[in-house]
Amino acid sequence: MTRVLVADDSETVLLMLQRRLEMSGYEVVTATDGQEVLDLLDDGGDPDLILLDAMMPRMSGVDALQKLRAAGHKMPVLVISAHLDAQEPERMLSLGADGCVPKPFEWDELMKRIEELAGH
Amino acid sequence: MRINPSLTARLRIGFVILFALLLAVSLLGVGRLFQIRVDFEDDTARLFQLELETERMRSAFILEQAATRPAVEGAEPSASELDQAAASFAAAGGRARDETGGDSVLSGRLESLITAEAAWREAVAGPVLRGRSPPPKVRTRLTSDVTNSAEALSVASRGARDSIRADARDDTRSTTILVVAGLIGALLAALILFSGLINSMRAPLARLVDGARRLAGGELDTRVEVGGPVEIASLGSAFNEMATSLERDARERDRIERMKDDFVLTVSHELRTPVTVVKGFAEMLTAQPNALQARQYEAASVISESAGQLQNLINDLLDLARSDAGKLRIDPEPTPVGPLAQRIGRQMRPSFEEKQQRLTVSVENDIPDVKADADRIGQVLSNLLTNANKYAQQGATVQLTAGRVGSEVEFAVSDDGPGLGEEELEHVFERFWRAQSGETQAVGGTGLGLAIAKSLIELHGGAISADSKPGKGATFRFVLPIAKDGK
Repeated sequence: MTRVLVADDSETVLLMLQRRLEMSGYEVVTATDGQEVLDLLDDGGDPDLILLDAMMPRMSGVDALQKLRAAGHKMPVLVISAHLDAQEPERMLSLGADGCVPKPFEWDELMKRIEELAGH
Repeated sequence: MRINPSLTARLRIGFVILFALLLAVSLLGVGRLFQIRVDFEDDTARLFQLELETERMRSAFILEQAATRPAVEGAEPSASELDQAAASFAAAGGRARDETGGDSVLSGRLESLITAEAAWREAVAGPVLRGRSPPPKVRTRLTSDVTNSAEALSVASRGARDSIRADARDDTRSTTILVVAGLIGALLAALILFSGLINSMRAPLARLVDGARRLAGGELDTRVEVGGPVEIASLGSAFNEMATSLERDARERDRIERMKDDFVLTVSHELRTPVTVVKGFAEMLTAQPNALQARQYEAASVISESAGQLQNLINDLLDLARSDAGKLRIDPEPTPVGPLAQRIGRQMRPSFEEKQQRLTVSVENDIPDVKADADRIGQVLSNLLTNANKYAQQGATVQLTAGRVGSEVEFAVSDDGPGLGEEELEHVFERFWRAQSGETQAVGGTGLGLAIAKSLIELHGGAISADSKPGKGATFRFVLPIAKDGK
């Protein structure tokens, strides 16, 4: 089963993403900030895909992305960013993300991107 | 301390000085002319008197001569007649002394006349009365001495009178010249004084005019240099106070405006996450229709649909708030027109099919690329098509066309729906405005679509307009610049 690590500081958003992904047959692990994401990766059991909210307290998704890439993790990362800035996706890709979707997201688009990246 | 008298003080001082100068010049001039005239008349009268007395002395001397040499043959010379004539000579001589006026020439001549007469009486009259005739030579010499002296005195008086007249004329002329020069000088001084006054006002007034123009032009940090007479200086200070107050007000207004924009931006932003979650869970429920009872499914559908509307409204509000705050950004790139129009047409087609409306998309051949943010222009096109779809009746025809017009590309969305009145057309791009007439009352939507379309098109450097007649359908057009490196 494909494992997806989902990180978002909003518990309701996290729960919604988790249930929705579970409905589509994914195994879901959740984290509420960047540090938790790094801790989970250290514990092993690498996920097949990381879904990362760009803005989170303590450690942001952007920082976590840079740290996990620096630590040598190669799995695909999809960043969810609330910034509708036209340059935002490019910036995320340059930091090592494999994709960037705007927040709030359209389910169909999000699922399509997840399927592409997770090879589901 | 720098002395800076007020305008009124300057004018008053100027007038007082000018008046005093003119008065002084006039009084001095007139007084002097009067004095010259009086002196001239006095001297003339005196010299005339001197001449008169000289003539009297001559007459008296003739009488003296007659007394010593009687005209009647055999008559004796008369001592009494001689004394009488000598007395009247002496009296005239005494009066003449008072009339010489200290003139040394005149008094010298007068004294030699008196001396000559005395010498004649001593050497001629005395011996004759005593019966001894003086030698004729002596008699003739002394007599002509007296006569010549009298003549010399007369000539000198006349000469003195002529020179006094000439002096008076010269004095009058020079005094007149002095008075005229003084008057001209006073007028010049007045001219310099007043032009100085005007000059002292001109520079600060020019600065004020310039400052007022700049302030009116929106340069709120404009201040003028305060200077000139007290009144002008206080006008400058008042102007600066006004500018400061205007600037403060403008800053405050900007701050409040920014706070409002930030508030709307923050609220919209914060609303998005919970609405997304509501919509997400509602969609999850409706995605499993079999797991729900009919009523539950109905409720989940309504929640999902309403959450969708709320999401659209929030997104629209957020766009407008960003636009107001100057934070709405676009990423214009050369964009092919055809594929963009076709894509939006494809996306919108289901809505049109639902109302049995016909949607045609026609793009001119060889149309150049436009410089546009494809997502944003797609948003504008779908807003326009959504309006046409909503407002036009069942079975209507809606056209999306694009063609080159000069250095721009014009997009047009037209329908054969109910159209808009002239008054309504004025309001179509206003926020939350919706057409109210007849059948269109039931139409939903946020009322923000066209306002956002206008902001976005203007952000692209284009323009949007609406054209319609009631019952004749409506056409919305917008133009976008052609991309420079476009085909």
